Amino acid sequence: MIEQSPQTTKKSQHEHKTIESYIIGFILSLIFTLIPYNMVVSHSVSGTPLLLTILGFAVLQMLVQVLFFLHLGRGPKPMYNVGFFVATVGIILVVVGGSIVIINNLHYHKLPSDQVKKLVNDEAIYQIGGLKTGACQGQHEGHTVIIKNGQVSPTRILAIKCDRLTIVNEDKIARKITFGTHPENQVYAGMSELMIRKGLSKTITLSEDGTYQFHDQLHPETAGSFTVVP
Amino acid sequence: MVIAKVINHHEEEAANDRVLFGFWVYLMTDLLMFSVLFASYAVLHNNTFGGVSGGQLFSLPIALTETLLLLTSSFTVGIGMIAARQRDQLKTLIWFGITFVLGLVFLFFELREFAAFIHEGHTLQSSAFLSAFFILVGTHGLHITSGLLWMGTTMAYILKRGLNTALVRKLTMLSLFWHFLDIVWIFIFTIVYLAAFV
Repeated sequence: MIEQSPQTTKKSQHEHKTIESYIIGFILSLIFTLIPYNMVVSHSVSGTPLLLTILGFAVLQMLVQVLFFLHLGRGPKPMYNVGFFVATVGIILVVVGGSIVIINNLHYHKLPSDQVKKLVNDEAIYQIGGLKTGACQGQHEGHTVIIKNGQVSPTRILAIKCDRLTIVNEDKIARKITFGTHPENQVYAGMSELMIRKGLSKTITLSEDGTYQFHDQLHPETAGSFTVVP
Repeated sequence: MVIAKVINHHEEEAANDRVLFGFWVYLMTDLLMFSVLFASYAVLHNNTFGGVSGGQLFSLPIALTETLLLLTSSFTVGIGMIAARQRDQLKTLIWFGITFVLGLVFLFFELREFAAFIHEGHTLQSSAFLSAFFILVGTHGLHITSGLLWMGTTMAYILKRGLNTALVRKLTMLSLFWHFLDIVWIFIFTIVYLAAFV
């Protein structure tokens, strides 16, 4: 009995400390939940700084859980579980961070909505799940624009929606046709540029109405326009 | 006799450590699975296919309520573990019982949220965003469900057999599992719910 008593007090002291750590951890975790919640609701900060701040609070919150609740690092040495935890966090950072970087890059290079527009026109998909895609259906009138000696003729084309426009390149150089006025390029019906090699032509479907300029990216003076009425 | 008992005790503790370490390794692999689901959500959350976005769909007060429920249950499971280590059967049952109820209420909120979304026509198949959302949050919900089943059966065993060493070990693993689910939820709360309103 006499021998056991110091051990018992040591044990109860340890338990007391554990209760304390749970209470501190619980209060901290509440604080780290309510601060980001209020920041998002009040919108005192916004955009990327806010996103990074709330992610920071999530990491703090995780550390509270790991240190005060899971008591990681208090076990017997060597602490293989801590090693496993650190390695796992490392793998997670690589997997999540890598996915975000790679897919953002993909989105940046291939604007998805434009890709869809181009795809529905190219593949003649008129509707998806009952919703009209805006793609043109059936045969319509054709218009031709000829590029010769750097001149576009005719410079203006009037067309009805869903007509087809053929651009013929009779010059000795390749033409890289983009839409909009130089240097601000725009995308027309999902197309950002048309590469037309010497002596060849490209046909596009005029599936979007409005007036649009087009020009050769390398020779902006070679330019024309077309107006599409619904 | 005394020496044999001491050796036995040491062996038992070593076995305990081995089991807990094995369970810890399982938790880390589970965390890796969640990280992949998080990565796909992070990548797909803008692909709403012309449908609703997270900001239009989610309710922040409900998400906060769910978070507070889980945080509190993570605390009560810890207090329950202290009671279990002291072999205080009644206190253990009370604290784990509170945890069980909190988990059940959390699950009720989550299922009600899912049912409301589906009722409004926002299903798993509506868009890539909703697929990623339902799979990520649903996987967490399934973990909570299995945690509750585990908790229920362990409590039934305690009532039947009394709080023995094997059951304390089970409770220790259960508490690790529960804290782990709390950590995963914190990231769901931040990345899915809060970030939708940034």
